[in-house]
Amino acid sequence: MLHLVSERAARLSEVPAGAKVRLHDSGLDAQSRSQLRALGLTDAALLRVCQQGDPCVVQVRSTRIGLSASVARQLFVIECGE
Amino acid sequence: MAIAALAASPVTNARVRLALIGNPNTGKTTLFNALCGIRAKTSNYPGTTTSIRLGSSAVGSRQLLDVLDLPGVYELHGDGLESRIALDVVSGNGSPPADVFVIVVDASNLTRNLVLAGEVLAEKRPAVIALNMIDVARGRRIDIDHDALSRALGCPVIPIVARSGEGVDSLRRAIAQAALSIAPRPLDLPSAGAGLEALAQWAEGIAAATSSTPVTRSAEEDFTERCDRYLTHPVYGPAAFVAVMGLLFFTLFTLAAIPMALIESVFGGLGSLLTATLPAGPVRDLITNGVVGGLSGTIVFLPQICLLFFLISLLEDTGYLARAAFVVDRLLSRFGLPGQAFVPLLTAHACAVPGIMSARLIPNRRDRLATILVAPFMSCSARLPVYVLLTSLLFADPLFAALAFAGCYALGAAAGLITASLFSRTTLKGRPLPMILELPPYRLPSLWNAVLTAKDQGIAFLRSAGSIIMAICIVMWWLSAYPRPAAGVDVPPQVQQENSYVGRAGHVIQPVFAPLGFDWQLTVGVVTSFVAREVFVSTMSVLEGGDGNSDVDAGVVARIRGMTRANGQPLFTPSVAAAALIFFVLAMQCLPTLAVTRKETGSWKYAAAQLTYMSGLAYVVAFSARMMLRLAGFA
Repeated sequence: MLHLVSERAARLSEVPAGAKVRLHDSGLDAQSRSQLRALGLTDAALLRVCQQGDPCVVQVRSTRIGLSASVARQLFVIECGE
Repeated sequence: MAIAALAASPVTNARVRLALIGNPNTGKTTLFNALCGIRAKTSNYPGTTTSIRLGSSAVGSRQLLDVLDLPGVYELHGDGLESRIALDVVSGNGSPPADVFVIVVDASNLTRNLVLAGEVLAEKRPAVIALNMIDVARGRRIDIDHDALSRALGCPVIPIVARSGEGVDSLRRAIAQAALSIAPRPLDLPSAGAGLEALAQWAEGIAAATSSTPVTRSAEEDFTERCDRYLTHPVYGPAAFVAVMGLLFFTLFTLAAIPMALIESVFGGLGSLLTATLPAGPVRDLITNGVVGGLSGTIVFLPQICLLFFLISLLEDTGYLARAAFVVDRLLSRFGLPGQAFVPLLTAHACAVPGIMSARLIPNRRDRLATILVAPFMSCSARLPVYVLLTSLLFADPLFAALAFAGCYALGAAAGLITASLFSRTTLKGRPLPMILELPPYRLPSLWNAVLTAKDQGIAFLRSAGSIIMAICIVMWWLSAYPRPAAGVDVPPQVQQENSYVGRAGHVIQPVFAPLGFDWQLTVGVVTSFVAREVFVSTMSVLEGGDGNSDVDAGVVARIRGMTRANGQPLFTPSVAAAALIFFVLAMQCLPTLAVTRKETGSWKYAAAQLTYMSGLAYVVAFSARMMLRLAGFA
């Protein structure tokens, strides 16, 4: 599947802990995308990267979400600054 | 006033049906327990095997509310079974909708929780928002104007702390009032089918207009973040996991032994009392050996099952289980299992039936099937007395017996992982879905919640597996006691056993098990335990000529160790005892498990595959072990 990813976008797994980013795109399967949306990781959602590694932990509003490293590698985000 | 109005209205002629709905980890079950206490039971939602808790509660001095605790869902229109059940109840599909919906909202996580609230309110059902964990929100300096929120949503909003009971009485009054009205649909709610993004934007707008969020993070959030760094760390995480699981099983075996001994002692005393008071004859034998033996053989497992569920509930409440799922995901994913399989596999150590049922929380069907198929390899509490007996027969030294006992657990877990790996390369091709899981904040666990969970699961066990085990014990006693020798003819007990119905069946089937070294008696023990493995000890005790007591004490071990074959040779040689032990670790010997596999997978095909594969594997591995031991010079 071809993804048109912005040049500013980076893989979530490559963003340092503490960064605030916006969800831009994902290369995940439909079921995983649906799970993320239900947890609040909707298009352009603002998230804070709490921890990198396996799991990668992000916070969306007040919800902390653990993501396998493979999920973090397939999520593309745009940094919004600290 | 609300109660008076309720009493005067037509609604009071019938009990008010209340449904609790909310996201996972919002304290919904704690609120259910606060409303219903012990007046609750767990049963399956009609047409599914998903457990739903039903309870009753009072408004004022009258019992008025039938409370339904729906499964935790993030959205009504999701793919999972839980979402479909919640949607059915909200939309009234298949049965009338509940009279009132209490939407449990985590006050410290307003925006995400309002998405589900919006979906429920869109259906124009009478509703009350229970703004739970308001104390946590206050602690994080989140200020919510609940009157403004109530106006925005068009329904009452009651701040509560379900755990302490704060606000629960106000909630009851609001429920009584809401039952008399229809909730208007919030004016600015996105239209049906607008999608989650539109709902999330609406929820964000409502939350921004009615609450203030602090700029800095709270001490609680910092604590959670620090703990996560250690508990999900590649090195410290597995170390903590091993320590927690070690402590859990140590507590389980140590504490459960006390009530188990008490239960056995009580039933032993009851059997003696009945033997002394009832006139001798078949009725006394049936009652003392069949009924009392069956009851004892069933109830003796309750302490372990209740205690394991109590401990799992405590761990779940702390928030640790979500972290543990990520730790084990690194191991399980290599074998084709998802990290979410951890809780079902842990639960299967108490009993495979609830273990398999809890696999429904795994969102992907392939992952769910893989978990269901391997869960019975975990050493359930029904195997314990068999392990104790056979390891004691195998090793006189308690240290070696204990090591062999631990080895049985390791062998079962290893067989499950290898099987999952095999399935992921053949019938269930593919990789497990990567883990995406909410990490709830760490909290102090609720003892009351854990007690109620243990009570519910204990009753569920007695209803499902317990009744079958008891029936088997009674049937087994009858098959091994009849036909009786003619009156006045004195027949030694072992000869009587051999001529009984079960003895004759053992002789017919024995050639199948001859390669494992099993004689007709051991064959009978294995065959009867195909229905429920825990009856093995009592069967062997009966066949040995004892009273069928399932208590594995030194006397029973010594008597069973002394059992002989027809030619007078000892029955339990090292190679035979080892083969029997391995067979019991790996074989599928539990009818209730097969029944629940069929229900959860929707097909007998998977239950048949489970039975065939596990029993075939058990036979081959037991045979190989026996051959190797014999080659090594053991009898």
